[in-house]
Amino acid sequence: MAYVATRGGERAIEQSERLFRAEMGEITADRVAEMRKALPYLVDRVMGEASLYDGDLAALALAQTGGELYEAVLLLRAWRTTQPRLTVAEPVTQENLFTHRRISAAFKDIPGGQVLGPTLDYAHRILATEVLSGANFLPTPVEPASRPSPAQQPSVAAWQAENDLLTAPEPDTASGNTIPDITREPLLFPAKRAHTLQSLARAETGGVLALGYAAQRGYGQNHPTVNELRLAEADIRVRHPRGTEFSAGRVKVSQAEVVSKSGSDLGLGYAATLGWNEVKVIAAATLDLNAKGAPKGSATEEEFFLYHTEGVESSGFCIHFKLPHYVTFQSSLDAMHDARAKKAAQAKRAPKTDISPQVESAE
Amino acid sequence: MSLETLTKSWEPMSYGFLDASAKREIRRKTLKAIAVPGCQIPYASREVPMARGWGTGGLQVSCTLINPDMRVKVIDQGADDSVNAASIRKFLARVSGAPVTMDTLEADLIQSRHRIPEEKLREDQVLVLQVPNPEPLRPVQPNMSIARQMHADADYGRMWLQLYEQIVRSGRVMQGASYPSLVNGRFVMTPSPIPRWDVPKMDMAAHLTILSAGREKRLHAVPPYTRVEPLVFDDVPFRVEDHGRLVCTRSGARGFFMNEIPQEDGTSSFEVSDSELGVKTIHRRDGDAARIGETWYTDGEMAQ
Repeated sequence: MAYVATRGGERAIEQSERLFRAEMGEITADRVAEMRKALPYLVDRVMGEASLYDGDLAALALAQTGGELYEAVLLLRAWRTTQPRLTVAEPVTQENLFTHRRISAAFKDIPGGQVLGPTLDYAHRILATEVLSGANFLPTPVEPASRPSPAQQPSVAAWQAENDLLTAPEPDTASGNTIPDITREPLLFPAKRAHTLQSLARAETGGVLALGYAAQRGYGQNHPTVNELRLAEADIRVRHPRGTEFSAGRVKVSQAEVVSKSGSDLGLGYAATLGWNEVKVIAAATLDLNAKGAPKGSATEEEFFLYHTEGVESSGFCIHFKLPHYVTFQSSLDAMHDARAKKAAQAKRAPKTDISPQVESAE
Repeated sequence: MSLETLTKSWEPMSYGFLDASAKREIRRKTLKAIAVPGCQIPYASREVPMARGWGTGGLQVSCTLINPDMRVKVIDQGADDSVNAASIRKFLARVSGAPVTMDTLEADLIQSRHRIPEEKLREDQVLVLQVPNPEPLRPVQPNMSIARQMHADADYGRMWLQLYEQIVRSGRVMQGASYPSLVNGRFVMTPSPIPRWDVPKMDMAAHLTILSAGREKRLHAVPPYTRVEPLVFDDVPFRVEDHGRLVCTRSGARGFFMNEIPQEDGTSSFEVSDSELGVKTIHRRDGDAARIGETWYTDGEMAQ
């Protein structure tokens, strides 16, 4: 009956989960609300990667996983799977965004002006250690500008297209249910434009940064100039079955346009995501800029970067190597033992050069 | 007539976790996969409450096939009590209310990671294999779009070349598990990382096998009574692992695929990899009732 004694699997996994959750302790609505308030940029990042815009759920996912980001995103994506797709909102256009921040590195000034908005770009990164000894950090109040910047702004690329500097992409006429949806269809290559932009929008920030940075450093052919970086809120307009169009609320979005000289024209790269995440959209737009004509198998080729920046897939596969692999390993060992025996027998007959056996990669 | 009579009441989760549209897609893609044996069919692959790479492909197929009358068995590396098998079994039972079993003979639906049970499967049983990498051409062509074109052209030259190179370099084919196999004379597929020991079980088998890769969003199938031929040269026969003469130290079972257990004295002992077969063999040895079905292998030899 020795086998029976080893059947501790179910109890062991139960207890290991308890051990993990014990560290976080009781999760209350107050804790979730506090996390949402205290960590808006983390909440934004998680919502973007989960492609699910709900601050409360995102904060709950963070609380429930103790901030294990990949787990938090997976939790939200799995929850998203169970939700019906009720309707498709009207397209969000750049000139209708409620813009909080919009800067261009391509021009000293742009129509509508450079709007700095909220940023740490020029802050000195000094840790406020005094907080730990009881001196609370109270942010200095913001002084409103004498003249508010316009809430709505045109895109810089639109001005460039007007002045014949770049060829603006053809407006996509797909609407409603005809818009390809990456969460409902497999990604195939060459990818549909909508699938590319959706994949980048939900890609894992660190992964996009790593590959985008590689492209920026020189593994890409095109050096990006940030044409426009924008943090904004988008009005989500949906249509009631009776026909009336109404606003279902606003979502935070970020978008980046990057350009580089390609022949006599400017090449344009674009990315947008839910939530405010500047690093991600600049890196993603760089990848988009470099994708055209990229060699097969290079890090700037669409298939390469879209597959490898998918955070739920990449993190899941990485941690799956913790699962037992002893059957596959046994199978490889068997081939190795046999190859060695053969080699030894051969060496007895005629001493030869040493060639080490090849083994296939692990799965 | 009111809206209430036309719709179901709200529930937090659909039966079998996936919603009707996800299931419909998987059913359609599965039918397509059965119609074109061995051909990889792309599907959307929804996120499920388990990490990618942990059986999400198999799980989506199981969630689609399952009904309350189906008896479910889940194995991982041959064992029913492996932690991940326990986790998947628990999930399937939770979302479907289906009864579970560890006995291969009793199961209607078997989800497995990297093993085919040693007892023969019947026409009324479905085997769902979890697949980490559905693309047998990956070692020679990592780009999915090019590999897809190669399958369309039945362009398997580099595959053969790779096997040939292994024979030249190492004196034998070094492929361990996931041995590339030709299905119905047309598509080369990966049988998933089952050991070579299990590959001949697929050839002209009575049961349906569905192989599903959730992370890679591809599924393929081997319908009942379909040819599955491992890629071999005429003069270099296919060889399964050299386990035919090994004896399980726990149950005394002999002639099945074994797990090697390193011992402190530097030697190895072996135990049968199909854990439930081991349990049944022990029961029998102890004089308890246990029915062991017909096995694919007899005395370590595959029946012809």
